[in-house]
Amino acid sequence: MSAGAGSARGWAAHTDRAVVAARVILAGAGGYAVAALATGWLALVLPGSRAEAVSAATIASFAIMAAAVIWVFAARTLARAALSLGLVAALLSVGLWLAGAFQTGAPA
Amino acid sequence: MSRPQSVRQSMAWLHTWSGLVVGWVLFAVFVTGTASYYRAEISRWMRPELVHSNLDPAAAVTRAAAFLQTTMPDALGWSIRPPSTENPAVEVYWWRDPAGPYHHALLDPATGEQANVRDTQGGDFLYRFHFELNLPPIWGRWIVSACAMILLIALISGIITHRRIFADFFTFRRDRSAQRGWLDAHNVAGVLALPFHLMIVYTGLVTLSSMVMPWAEMTAYRGDLLRYYAEAGLMVPGRPAAGRPGEALPLGAIVTRAIAAQSETPEMVVVSSPGDAAATVTAYFAEPPGLAHLHPQIAYDAVTGAEIGRVGEAGTATRTGAVMVGIHEAHFAAAPLRFLFFLCGVMGAATVASGLVLWTVARAPRGAKPEGLGLRLVRFLNLGTIGGLPAGLAAYFLANRLLPVNLAGRADWEVRLFFLAWIAAALASAFYARTRAWSLTLAVPGIAVLAIPAVDALIVGEARFLGFDAAMAVLGLLLLVGARLASRRRLVRRRTEAILHRTAEA
Amino acid sequence: MTAPALVLSLLLAFSGFSALALSLERHHRAVFRSPVPRSRSGGLRAAGWAGLTLSFATAIACAGWSFGPVQWIGSLTFSALAVVVLIAYRPTWLRMAALAALPLAALTLPLALPG
Repeated sequence: MSAGAGSARGWAAHTDRAVVAARVILAGAGGYAVAALATGWLALVLPGSRAEAVSAATIASFAIMAAAVIWVFAARTLARAALSLGLVAALLSVGLWLAGAFQTGAPA
Repeated sequence: MSRPQSVRQSMAWLHTWSGLVVGWVLFAVFVTGTASYYRAEISRWMRPELVHSNLDPAAAVTRAAAFLQTTMPDALGWSIRPPSTENPAVEVYWWRDPAGPYHHALLDPATGEQANVRDTQGGDFLYRFHFELNLPPIWGRWIVSACAMILLIALISGIITHRRIFADFFTFRRDRSAQRGWLDAHNVAGVLALPFHLMIVYTGLVTLSSMVMPWAEMTAYRGDLLRYYAEAGLMVPGRPAAGRPGEALPLGAIVTRAIAAQSETPEMVVVSSPGDAAATVTAYFAEPPGLAHLHPQIAYDAVTGAEIGRVGEAGTATRTGAVMVGIHEAHFAAAPLRFLFFLCGVMGAATVASGLVLWTVARAPRGAKPEGLGLRLVRFLNLGTIGGLPAGLAAYFLANRLLPVNLAGRADWEVRLFFLAWIAAALASAFYARTRAWSLTLAVPGIAVLAIPAVDALIVGEARFLGFDAAMAVLGLLLLVGARLASRRRLVRRRTEAILHRTAEA
Repeated sequence: MTAPALVLSLLLAFSGFSALALSLERHHRAVFRSPVPRSRSGGLRAAGWAGLTLSFATAIACAGWSFGPVQWIGSLTFSALAVVVLIAYRPTWLRMAALAALPLAALTLPLALPG
């Protein structure tokens, strides 16, 4: 690990605070949103009984969120991070819709 | 694609800042959680009036039910824990609303009256603090969950950023600079217990998942949590109240049936809608040997005593989740393994603490430059948390022995003194001279903790508390050793040694 | 699972980790005051991994597949910590300790195995 705070910061050293703050918010809110969408989607599409799918999806949810957060900070630019997260969220939303999450009435 | 160099750098940044932001809360979470592995022992020490008796559990439960009948006959639910090795008294809860408040009492198994024991939260205070921080439950659990997720991020970024994780596995250079030494200490504590750290943070999140990540059951069950629990094999399906009164069998009779059915005494008995015609009695049994936190459960009709259901078989995924909860709480662990978990928890607290100290050491200004406000604040928070929390714990235990037994609101006073001592120790550290700050901050709680076995011997003096007292003596001594190490002019000495080293090797 | 079983896991893991540590240049120098001869480093690595594997095997044998892995990982943590502390404070004691661990482990074995 490097000797001081400055050289360890990578992109953060040369980027203004607003962008760093934006990454933090994107990671927190966006990461949680992606995890929530993924968990809901997995609960509907995983094979096996409904209860088992819910259990498995919930267990996986935190790994999904962690991966999203790490990705937001590892991505080369804020725009890349935001676009990719947005794309994943959009795909998951479509997946949820296709799996019947947005229909009203009692579940099957 | 991204250059590996800059990913490592951004992960280093992430590790440093995520660790700092939650470090103080996490230190408290680790310390109280680690202490909770011995929650029952702490509670026993804090309730010296309770002694074990070999009374019939069924009879004790019937008497407890009579107490609850008098106290709140129209409750939504009662819960009763028969006497056990962990707790010789009968522990009861009763409530009108699932959102609370949950009323609590400890009853004498022989009489069914409130046990003649000093009012204290015992080890339960530390256990609850561990995941609620003594805040309103929803706030506290969300904060702890957020800190746990950030810890998970800190662990992952730490792993990515640790360049020489295998080559430096055994490395602890205490003869070089302070920063090198603290970095090595942080790495050793973090990497050697890494399986534990990763396990404990992930399983902790899973344990709180029904609150912070309910989206699976919200989507698949439209929020019908009880149906999910029943279908998953976590709970017996309940049945609604009939709305008209019914005459229940003596609770002990049902407990006797439960004992006969499982060949063991239930750990807990819950009565839903007592007094109702459709009242149910659910008997919860201890988890069978193994890692999974899955309780066998049998539900009985309260009026007829007939068995109306058992908890279903849990599938692989649900069982995995139960293993995760089980391995976090380590209920399954016999004494040697429990001690191992305890030591790992200590390593976790040490990783957090060494990281916090490293943060200030790495940013100490060279030469005569003054320290910035941020650095001074971090240093103050470090002293206040790492030294203040042990001071609070010492006050909590000392208060248990020193406060008058019949003092009104005693339990609240013990908790108040915990926080007052913590805050006082933290504030005092702001006034210590810079060079003596750490040694004083560790010495004060060290002496207070050492006072615990002395006070206990004088006031209570029972041989069965020797284990706890010995542990406190060891903790106090370790704090004093830490204070001693912090007071020697180590940096000057180290630099001298380093110079001699280098000249010898030249 | 019992204290002797845990002690057995710890002793075997300690021997293993000592060997692995000594196969590294920096720690070999600290203990023996000479660099690792190439012929030796391979042998030390092999001995090290063997020790860790034996520790795993005995943990499973004594505590089953449920608790065994948990016990083993705990043993890895604290035996490695012992190696770190020895190298940092008393490097010359490491070789002796690692060698002594083996007969001690042999003595603990009958106490640790179930039945």
